Amino acid sequence: MKEQLNDLVKRASEEAKKITNESEYLNIKSKYLGKKSELNTYMSNIKNMNSDDKKLYGPLFNKLKKEFDNLFTKYYEESLNKNEIITFDPTLPVKEVDGSLHPVTIVARDVTNILKKMGFMVLDGPEMESEYFNFEALNIPATHPARDMQDTYWLDNGLLLRTHTSPVQARAMQKYGAPIKMCVPGRCFRNEDLDASHENTFFQLEGMVIDENISISNILYVMKGMLREVFKQDIEVRLRPGFFPFVEPGFELDCSCTICGGKGCPTCKDTGWIELCPCGMIHPNVFEESGIDSKVYSGFAFGLGLTRLAMMKYKINDIRYLNSSDLRHLSQFNIR
Amino acid sequence: MKISCNVLKKHIKNSEKIDFYSIWDTFTIRTAEVEKVEKKGMNFDGVVTAKIIECEPHPKSNKLSVLKVDNGKKQLQIVCGAPNVKVGLIGALIQIGGHIDDIEISARPLLGIDSYGMMCSGKELGISDDHTGILELPANTKLGVNIKEILPIEDIIVEIDNKSLTNRPDLWGHYGIAREIAAITGNSLLPLELDDTKLDKKDLKIKINNPELCYRYIGTKLEKIENINTPMWMQIFLYYAGMRSINLIVDLTNYVMLELGQPMHAFDANIVNEIEIGLANKGDKFTTLDGNERTLTNKDLMIKNGGKYFAVAGVMGGLDSEITDNTNSIVLESASFEASTIRKTATSLGLRTEASSRYEKSLDPNLTMDGTKRFIKLLKDENPNLEFGSNITDVYPKIFKEKEIILDKKLLYKYMNFEIEDSIVENILNLLSFKVKILKDRFKVTVPTFRATKDVAIAADLIEEIARLYGYENYNEVPLNMDLTFNNNETTYEQEYEVKEYLVNKHNFNEVNTYLWNQTLFLKYIDVLVDNVKLIGKNEDNILRDDLSLSMLESAYINTKRFENIRIFEIGTIIENGENKRSLSILLSGDTGDLKNIYNEAKSIAYHLLKTLKNIKPIFELSESKNYYNNELTQNIIVNNNVLGQINVFNRNISNNINKKKCFVVININFDYYSQINKENIIYNEVSKYPITNLDYTILSKRGEYYQEFEKIIDNFTSPIIIKRELVDIYIENDIKKITIRYTVGSKEKTLTSEELKDFKEKFIKFIEDNDLSIILE
Repeated sequence: MKEQLNDLVKRASEEAKKITNESEYLNIKSKYLGKKSELNTYMSNIKNMNSDDKKLYGPLFNKLKKEFDNLFTKYYEESLNKNEIITFDPTLPVKEVDGSLHPVTIVARDVTNILKKMGFMVLDGPEMESEYFNFEALNIPATHPARDMQDTYWLDNGLLLRTHTSPVQARAMQKYGAPIKMCVPGRCFRNEDLDASHENTFFQLEGMVIDENISISNILYVMKGMLREVFKQDIEVRLRPGFFPFVEPGFELDCSCTICGGKGCPTCKDTGWIELCPCGMIHPNVFEESGIDSKVYSGFAFGLGLTRLAMMKYKINDIRYLNSSDLRHLSQFNIR
Repeated sequence: MKISCNVLKKHIKNSEKIDFYSIWDTFTIRTAEVEKVEKKGMNFDGVVTAKIIECEPHPKSNKLSVLKVDNGKKQLQIVCGAPNVKVGLIGALIQIGGHIDDIEISARPLLGIDSYGMMCSGKELGISDDHTGILELPANTKLGVNIKEILPIEDIIVEIDNKSLTNRPDLWGHYGIAREIAAITGNSLLPLELDDTKLDKKDLKIKINNPELCYRYIGTKLEKIENINTPMWMQIFLYYAGMRSINLIVDLTNYVMLELGQPMHAFDANIVNEIEIGLANKGDKFTTLDGNERTLTNKDLMIKNGGKYFAVAGVMGGLDSEITDNTNSIVLESASFEASTIRKTATSLGLRTEASSRYEKSLDPNLTMDGTKRFIKLLKDENPNLEFGSNITDVYPKIFKEKEIILDKKLLYKYMNFEIEDSIVENILNLLSFKVKILKDRFKVTVPTFRATKDVAIAADLIEEIARLYGYENYNEVPLNMDLTFNNNETTYEQEYEVKEYLVNKHNFNEVNTYLWNQTLFLKYIDVLVDNVKLIGKNEDNILRDDLSLSMLESAYINTKRFENIRIFEIGTIIENGENKRSLSILLSGDTGDLKNIYNEAKSIAYHLLKTLKNIKPIFELSESKNYYNNELTQNIIVNNNVLGQINVFNRNISNNINKKKCFVVININFDYYSQINKENIIYNEVSKYPITNLDYTILSKRGEYYQEFEKIIDNFTSPIIIKRELVDIYIENDIKKITIRYTVGSKEKTLTSEELKDFKEKFIKFIEDNDLSIILE
């Protein structure tokens, strides 16, 4: 009997050392102290013992029971302070999370955030637009080629799909008056055949500033600052004459080529410049049409091609990917 | 448009001081965009004039000839393969040691006979497309002269972007470009050499029926045209400018057009003698000189002769009156037409010509006389015996005059951001041929007619002239003034962006952009009819969308082969009841067997979108929608008692077209309404100091009955001690649905007594029984 008990104590002590968590603790407890445990079997056999043995083993069993319990509890409590035993592979790769913003959304957000820092408000305008706001209010006469069938999507309800975000210039002037600093990211439509660089549906960002003393020098500051922030690099800009009926003087704004830095490369056709954005001083007729006194106020406006900017920024070589819904392209823009 | 610097040089005083290769960068930022600058005549050297004095066939070839040519110093033996070789021909000889296209010419035998050089074709010299024979120079050409000295082969050809010239009718010819270059470089423009013959002949019969469309018509009859060979220098120029040399008369009309920007027309005087300008009759036919018969409308302006059409005004002449090599007397037209009429006719006939593209820019009517006199001068140079068959007959109903504009100095300084000196302003405007009178606080500026037709009409136009020639590179950058008033911010964009970011970052959706119209093929494919506003003039992809989710379904279709489950969204415009509406559509796809989970996820996304971004808990309510949705699963999303949107599932027969194993669940949200919903404040509740109790109850319901029905009932059970109620579990067993709900009860003032809890329990059981439901009591 004694030998059996010694063996039991030895086994219990060995196993107690291996306790690492709660379930092991509960298991070992039931194994050595439970109803079906060895010790319990001995204890239930005590009634068959002679009285000497009864006297000897009775208290001994109880003592062992207490000792086991203390031992197990002690090792369990110790185990709680130890680090977990590693039973998994910590070197497995991370599972990709696939949400993505449209690249034009990312660029639009960047540009509007920059303009917001300069105090621009962000406005919205309708895609289905009237001839008045799309053309007339912008000093585009009825004889202008843009008003012909071939460039504009006309609708059977007498309206059209706006060909630029500029109608919001007139809308904003009529709604808010002057002074104003505003920008409008939005979608525009031109009746064009699709190819790698032409889309019938594309995004622009209209910007407009009207105040009492706005000058050509202000355009340079705003555009240069904005582009530096967008591209996160030093960008040179230049203005050259450009003709748009709703501005006078009108400019084409070029920026130094982001690929070669202005040295000349295929992207900029070796000129070092990339045509980016038509802009200009708001035409007095546009002011007058929308009830702003052009003798008091001057202003500038620009129409930045967001689709083009996104293509430049991410070096996307085919404009058709952007409206394709093809997630092989679009899911790559998964920045948080 | 291609510009020859050789021709520009003829019109500018001291042009030798200008670097015509590098000036174009400056031109781009002062005037118009230059696309290309190309040096011509650089691909060869060592070419001299030489005359063939002997010509024998090659003994071993029936194509080659053996020539003796005189280069002015000695006679050389040349083997030549051209068919047009003949004794007496003066051509271009490339001598030994000369180069062509980087190849050095050396003496070498051709089929056993040595050749000491090569006779060149026009194509080899880069001055024509003709490679059928060697170049033939006029008989009076001096021998042994470097060909580049007698012909303007070396040139710089500049290509200017036509689009950047749309508002500048004056720049559609070399003379106008020369005026700009002169102004940019501070040089002066030379006057044109014009014919100044005094005439005392009869006028031509010319009648303008529509003076509002034809501003001026000058007709001149010219006779005794004996020489119709175009001089070599002009042929080379026309070739460089992208035109083909035909004969002297045709070439001269083109030359004058390219030089002055004024389109010219020459008609055979045997056919044309009485001119009338008027509108066509609708449906009339006319054959233009390209040989095509065209049907006219009553808006097309025509030139008639004795009632018979002979030209489409400003666009193209007719076949009948075409100049041929036998023509020796012509009627010369130089006219001015209203711009948009010409553009519309050219567009409707599908015939944009060099002439029409100039007329549609609003040409100066006063240019027509210069064009006529310049043409006659150049024609006379080649035909000294030229005679006038009529006066230069000028019909000019309303003379177009110079314009006067007042430019306020304050306005100018405002735009420029500094006070520019009067003398600079005067100098710039003078260089551009504007006349300036300087007054105390303004300038009185006279605009020349060639700038006044369209481009320069108001003070701001003058500012542009001053600003651009002052040089846009010379302006400072000046920040905007600070304005600290609050903006009237429209939040649409910000809300759109917030929602997009939420869907992408929280729920891993991909944003797509789709077209504003439904793709016809796709609608046919899924057999859905959409009736909405249409694009005019298109037969397909012409119906504007009224449901963004159909676009999402199409996007899903595009991706279904490559992606297992699709999660996409768009915020975009739809057209509903003829109005612009902003819509958000979110699409989730998954296995058909998984519909329950996908549906519930969609519902959860819709719920949490509003919960997270607006702090509003929406209510869902079964409803109906378009018939391509499964209306058993259509639910309205309700916010503040208004329908914000719907959860929809595409009908099986629709989605089977996309993928039989997948179901497509969409969340449709009216984004205009969404943007108007105010974000609710967070209401903070003080935490009770007294204990709270959870009470779970299991109630029996019929299997088929929706939870919503049950919820409607127990919503009516109220008690002041209820803190919240939630659904714990629904368990279905033998057609019995067991719904377990949990009430959390408590009080802010005290610990609830067991009597109070007992009372609550009794009231609840009674409420359940009163509503014909049964509760499982433990």
